[in-house]
Amino acid sequence: MPPRRRLRLPSLRLLRGLALAAGAFLLAFVITQWWDFTVPALGRGGYQAVFLANGQTYFGRYYDRIGAYAKIEDVYYLQQTQGADPNAAPDTRLVRRGSELHAPENRMLVPKSAILFVEDLKDSSPIARFMHEDKK
Amino acid sequence: MRSLRFDPVRVAGSVFRWALVPAIIGVLVSANVDARALPLIGVERQSAVLLLDGQAYFGHLDESGESGTLVLRDAYYFQDAKAGPTNLGVGLAKRGTEAHEPADGMRINRDKVLAIERVGPNSAVARAVGVQRELANASPPTISLNRQAIAGLEVLTAQRVGTEHAIARGYAGNADQLAKLNDLVLPISKSEAETITLKALDDLRSVRRSALAALARTVGMGAADADLYVRTTDTQLEGKSFATEQGVLLAPDLYSIVARATTLYAQVGDAASKLLTQPRSTPTPAPSATPAPTPTKRP
Repeated sequence: MPPRRRLRLPSLRLLRGLALAAGAFLLAFVITQWWDFTVPALGRGGYQAVFLANGQTYFGRYYDRIGAYAKIEDVYYLQQTQGADPNAAPDTRLVRRGSELHAPENRMLVPKSAILFVEDLKDSSPIARFMHEDKK
Repeated sequence: MRSLRFDPVRVAGSVFRWALVPAIIGVLVSANVDARALPLIGVERQSAVLLLDGQAYFGHLDESGESGTLVLRDAYYFQDAKAGPTNLGVGLAKRGTEAHEPADGMRINRDKVLAIERVGPNSAVARAVGVQRELANASPPTISLNRQAIAGLEVLTAQRVGTEHAIARGYAGNADQLAKLNDLVLPISKSEAETITLKALDDLRSVRRSALAALARTVGMGAADADLYVRTTDTQLEGKSFATEQGVLLAPDLYSIVARATTLYAQVGDAASKLLTQPRSTPTPAPSATPAPTPTKRP
C-alpha cells in the first residue's frame, strides 16, 4: 500500500509575510496615486498662471512634479470671441477646461520644456476670485 | 531548540522581502496606472496630446520610455471643417488614411508637446472613435491592458442621424443659395432660370440620395434595406434644414460621406450659378450661302 501523502498547509509565517507584502503594495500604490510625484511648495498662492511657449496661458492649481511633466488641476483659460462687428474689441471670457469635444478630465500634464514661466495669482485677482467662486 | 534571540540581519531580510520590495513594486505600478482606469477591468484610457503648433491628436499613449519621443497608437485628429455642414468647426479623421498611408504608431517629439490630457470616456471624441471601430468591425482582444471601447447601438444611431442631418443641411444650404440667386436680376429669361434651377435641385437631390445610400452601406444595411432606407429618409429630409441644431462630431467614415456630399453639392451649385449669371450668347448669323462663281468659259 503506497504511503499517504499529507497536504502541507502554508506556514503561519508565510501567510503573515504575504499579508504584509500585499499591505505594503497597496499602501505604496495608494500613496503614490495621491502624491502623483508632486513636489511640495510651501507658501505659494492658491492659483497660478502658467505661461506656455506657444503664447497660451492656463490658470489653475500648478504642481511641480518629479520627472519631465508638471501638473495643472482645475484648468481655466481665456477665450476670445469676435462679435458681429469686426471693429469692436473681441469679447474675452474665462472658460473652465472640460467642455471641449474631447471633454478632458481635471488633470493636465504639461512638459516643463513647454513652460515659459509660472506666476502666483493674488487672492484679490479677479481670475482667482472667479475660479474660487466657480469651484463652489 | 529555536533561538528566541533578536536577529537584526534576519529582521532586515524579512522587512526587505515582505515590505520594501512590494512597496517599490507598488510605486512603480502606481506610476504607470491610473486608479480610475485600471488595466483589464477599467474603462479605456485615451489621451489627448496637444502640440505646440495647435494640432491635437487622440489615442493610446505610451510614454513609458526614456527616449525623446512619445508613441501614440490608434491615433485620431481634428481636421478643418468650418465650411462644412456639420455645424462644428472640425471633423475627426483617423491617422493612417493619408496619401502616404502611415502605419500605426506616431512617434511624437516630446519637445513639441504642449500638454497631455485624458479624454473623457463619454466625450464626443470618445463616442466618434467608438463608432468608427464599430463601423470597421474592430474586434479588440479579450484580454488587453487598455481594451478598446466599441460604441453601442444607441451611439451609432445618434451618429447616423447626425450624418443624415448634416447631409440635409448641405442640401438646404445650396438650395437656399439657388433661391437667392433667382431673386436677383438675372441676364437670362425667367423660364430659362426656372429650368436651370429645377435641374440643379434635381441634381442636388441625387447627391443627397447617393450620400444616404453610402451611409446605409457604411452602417451595414443590406441592399433591400438600404433602398427602403434611402427612399424613406430622403422624403423625411425634404424641406428640413436643421440649421440651428447642435452638430455631432462624426466618426471619420461618416464624416467622409458628408465631406464628399458637400463637394458634390458645391459642384452642382457652382455649375447652376454659372448658368444663371452668365448671359446667353446670341446666336451668330449663319453666313448665307453665296453661289460659287462658276468659271466662265473662254470663248
